[in-house]
Amino acid sequence: MVYLDNMFAGLPRSPEVERMKQELLSGMEDKYLELKQEGRSENEAVGIVISEFGNIEELMEELGIQTEDATETYPVLTEEEVQAYLAAKRSAGFWTGLGVWLSSAGIAFLILMDTLFESMGTSSDQGTFGIGSVLGMSGMFVLVAVAVGMFIYSGMKLGRFEYMEKGFQLPRSLLMILQRSKASFALTYRVALITGVCLCILSPVFIFAGAYVNDTYAAYGVSALLAAAGIGVFLFVYYGNIQGSYTTLLEDQHLNAAKREEARAVRAVEAVVWPLATAFFLFTGFVYQRWDINWAIFPIVGILSGSFSNVYHIMKNKKSS
Amino acid sequence: MISSDVIRGYNDTLILYMLLEGESYGYEISKNIRQLTDEKYVMKETTLYSAFTRLEKNGYIESFYQDESLGKRRTYYRITPAGLDYYREKCEEWKVTQEVVNLFIREL
Repeated sequence: MVYLDNMFAGLPRSPEVERMKQELLSGMEDKYLELKQEGRSENEAVGIVISEFGNIEELMEELGIQTEDATETYPVLTEEEVQAYLAAKRSAGFWTGLGVWLSSAGIAFLILMDTLFESMGTSSDQGTFGIGSVLGMSGMFVLVAVAVGMFIYSGMKLGRFEYMEKGFQLPRSLLMILQRSKASFALTYRVALITGVCLCILSPVFIFAGAYVNDTYAAYGVSALLAAAGIGVFLFVYYGNIQGSYTTLLEDQHLNAAKREEARAVRAVEAVVWPLATAFFLFTGFVYQRWDINWAIFPIVGILSGSFSNVYHIMKNKKSS
Repeated sequence: MISSDVIRGYNDTLILYMLLEGESYGYEISKNIRQLTDEKYVMKETTLYSAFTRLEKNGYIESFYQDESLGKRRTYYRITPAGLDYYREKCEEWKVTQEVVNLFIREL
């Protein structure tokens, strides 16, 4: 009987359940046949049998099966929580983006100061570090410190919502609201992305323009590149976070364990790679005085870690399919 | 027809009573309960079979297969000594329950 199959669809396929199903089926068949013998019509007989079926929860309770345990355990989000999450994501995106920009501005500042004082004749050859290097270095560290503060701040803001990673449910009404605001945000997001990409692609123009004049200006160009690319990255991070919050809410509701593990692996690799890159940057800077070129490590690492996460994603998908 | 809520605690007793006469199977039991109560109480399918599961788990009834004439294999149930004890207990319990509830029943 299709009806019975449907009723049992939500239950695990244990032998106990199968047996129970057979029992029920046999009992219902008996009842049905007898009703027919009494002269009831087919429809009537089926109707009576179904109306006297009872409810499946009663059986599940008896068999010790938790009802809908797969979905019930996820907390249902209220509208306030969702709004708070969106706001937190947005502000975290803002502060992270600003932090990234400050970090790149810090490096830009270092290069700028170094070059500026060098070109003014206070050669850094006299001591280990010229005054420009010292100024630039301290400026950079201050900026980076502020940026780290921002990272921590935004991390804390989002910490409250960590429980959402384990999965959650959204009421239908809220889903609609979110879908609508996501749709209205789509254009902003696209414009921001394109602007960011343009900024990153066009930023080397500063170097070429500077190099056209002379070497000193080329160094200024690097500073300008970092500042401009930093703005591009800020746009990625800020708008990406907003977009990400919608994606999390709308699509990742039942994010499977594998995907979450993937995200964790990518994060773990990044947590190792970025400090290494920073160490490399500082080392080559201080020891070999190659501030002019060693900043390139950051975009390189950025691209590498991005492609790592993509490759990892593809490999994982291949394995699971 | 009685609501299933009222009678819930005594479904097991009803089934055990039906088995006092001898072994039987699901549909026969539910049919007999219906007839005996003059259709005032019809036990739902799920109630019946979850009661079987519960009773069997507690050792009050035992099940066995028996082949029918038409090649259909049925699960029959029979009451155990433990089930008989339990039945007597429930009868006592009902008497007390009845007395207690009756204290609060009067014609208006």
